[in-house]
Amino acid sequence: MLKIYPVIAIIGLVISIGSVIRKSPFFNFTGILVCIYGLLKSAEYVMPALPSQVILMYMAMSFFSFFIYFSIQEETFKAFLEPMRAVFADDNKALLRVLIVFIGLPLFAGYLTYVKVKPTYDPPVSARIVHPEPPSQMDFRGKSVNVLGLENPLRKDAANFAKYVEEGKKIYYQNCFFCHGDDLDGKGHLSQAFNPVPLPFRGTDTIAQLPESFVFWRVSKGWRGLPAGSGPWNSSMPSFEDFLTEEEVWKVIMFIYDSTGNKPRSW
Amino acid sequence: MDMFIRRFLRMRILIAVLIAMCFSVSVYSADKPADNPEGKKIYDGWCAQCHGYKGDADSFTKDVSLPKPRDFTFGSFKFRSTPSGDPPTDADITKVIRNGNPGTSMPPWSRFSDAEVKAIVGHVKSFAPDTFAMETKPINVGNPPKASKEIIEQGKELFKTAKCVECHGNAGRGNGEKGWQADFKTDWGYGIAPANYTHPWELRNGSSLEDIFRTISVGLSGTPMTSYMDSIPDDKRWALAHFIKSLQLTRKLGLALKVRKTETLPSKPNDPAWEAVDYLDLPMGGQLMFDTRNFTPVITNVRVRGLYTSKELAILLQWIDKKPNDGSDGKPSDSIRIQFPINKLEGTELPYFFMGTGKAPVNLWQWRASDKDKVSSMTAKGPDKIEPKEKPEATVMATYDDGLYSVVFKKELKPAKDDPVFEAGKFIPFAVAAYDGQNDEDGNTRGAISAWYYLMMEPPMPLRVYVFPPLVSLGVLIAGIGLRKRLRKKKV
Repeated sequence: MLKIYPVIAIIGLVISIGSVIRKSPFFNFTGILVCIYGLLKSAEYVMPALPSQVILMYMAMSFFSFFIYFSIQEETFKAFLEPMRAVFADDNKALLRVLIVFIGLPLFAGYLTYVKVKPTYDPPVSARIVHPEPPSQMDFRGKSVNVLGLENPLRKDAANFAKYVEEGKKIYYQNCFFCHGDDLDGKGHLSQAFNPVPLPFRGTDTIAQLPESFVFWRVSKGWRGLPAGSGPWNSSMPSFEDFLTEEEVWKVIMFIYDSTGNKPRSW
Repeated sequence: MDMFIRRFLRMRILIAVLIAMCFSVSVYSADKPADNPEGKKIYDGWCAQCHGYKGDADSFTKDVSLPKPRDFTFGSFKFRSTPSGDPPTDADITKVIRNGNPGTSMPPWSRFSDAEVKAIVGHVKSFAPDTFAMETKPINVGNPPKASKEIIEQGKELFKTAKCVECHGNAGRGNGEKGWQADFKTDWGYGIAPANYTHPWELRNGSSLEDIFRTISVGLSGTPMTSYMDSIPDDKRWALAHFIKSLQLTRKLGLALKVRKTETLPSKPNDPAWEAVDYLDLPMGGQLMFDTRNFTPVITNVRVRGLYTSKELAILLQWIDKKPNDGSDGKPSDSIRIQFPINKLEGTELPYFFMGTGKAPVNLWQWRASDKDKVSSMTAKGPDKIEPKEKPEATVMATYDDGLYSVVFKKELKPAKDDPVFEAGKFIPFAVAAYDGQNDEDGNTRGAISAWYYLMMEPPMPLRVYVFPPLVSLGVLIAGIGLRKRLRKKKV
């Protein structure tokens, strides 16, 4: 695909160079500004796009400094003003005068004013912390549990690992898959109804980065346990202590790690 | 930090490679379904949770999904390109695995390689060896005729004469009388609802013109939808397909609905004037957070429209209910609730999206089919703490037309200081919960619910928008003329 802003920058450069040869400071000035604008906008192809405020600031600075440069010598300044004067005054520029001075500029100014005064309405956006800091302690159905340093007790029973995973699978498909998905990809058949959409477990940026204790806290407390910065009022994650036992929560956690090929973070 | 990111990226690649190695390509021979360890392994891992380890759908999800998972041992397959009575082709089964069945819990499986899918298909077929012993091939779909007013009109006629309406209803919403008789069942022995054509995003067998034509032609085995290949000629089936295609709605998803100001509100919920008003579709999910959880909601979409005058705000909610229940037939009454915050909260903070909490309660307006044009106003501080209000805050009107409920809530608008939530130009949070009595939804936790959305009463365009731009244009023009005159004089 042709990138538009580098093209603008090159056109500006060509105008600028051409006008140096033809000794026209006004077009030189215009060409330089066009080129700078093109370059500033091109930045978005190699880094995050520059905010429009920043671009406006750079453009204003360029405008004034080049304007000073071109107006400092009287002769140059006269030549600089010449094209503008010609459009206004010369008899052979009548068509250009009508197009630019009497039609183009008034319409452009009107349009800028319209954009400025027309009210715009955008729904509120909320930034949301996806993985908030867990508490050091929580309660599970009234029983106090230390989240800090909490380990999955079933992992110690390595002989029954496959059995626990299979039991976790059953729990997952009777409680979680509606939202988190048949394939644990967060695309469950009811997921579309909720906002934020349920998280996937596949991939390396959710449970793969979390210790099991964190997952235990999230599954057990759900939306109720979220701090305000994580927008508990929008979360459709149930508090699974209402529906599952501690052991069942650990089993389902084993299943979601095992079936996605992820390992709990242990550091 | 950089170091960490780089290490993390490298780890990601490593994990991807490891996973890829776990599912490395295997060679599978089609004529020996018994020797298909690869197919069995993937099936047991990723299909058996619903279809059962023995392929009989006696599985983890049998009671929590609707429609129920397919029982492969039965040897009857709904989604085929082959004539009625024939087994599906390998390509048919592959298509279901790859594309999923929209509107069901069968998702599209894109993660598996072609060889892996082939192995799964082999294992699925091994559950009904007799069925697949037969040779078959797909029907010839041919080239569809172009859509035209005439062909759609012809299809509409046929839709009645071929008795499609008996099950699918006049407007194709799946609300035909016959669909609700006691013997309207599948060969598997459970009830089934006729398809609603207006929601193309949940047509199990696909929503394209060819998909519809194929479905009419070969039918859906094991269901009351029979094959019409022999009874209706090709060109007429295409006409039917065109008509059915023309009924499909365009779903419009988003976060906010802008509500326009108008002089007078439409007099009825089914007034055609509403159709010209902008809408927002809310995808609905089951209520899953509180006991009793609803894993099998049947109301999947609520369409919202709004209009306001200087005195009133009107909100129209429309959804499809194939079988209306007003509470007189032993089933709960159909109902709908719309919810707003009671107080303005800090920043982007909101009450809980389903029925609020003690700290941040919500206002509910409820309409029930059993109460006709009566609205119930309630305050909710959670699903178990809902208190009726003495004075209703809104009025309601409702209609039911051919499978479609249309309910309009109207609210009197007050000055912003008396009613800060309903202020023009502000984004007003709202959420919806809808209940289908036929699906035993009880009007509270067992229902279909939406997330928070916003509606905004768009203030009329301020006068300055019409005044300032022309004034500025005129000013610039005058300045231009002035400058021209001055410069010209100078020259002379």
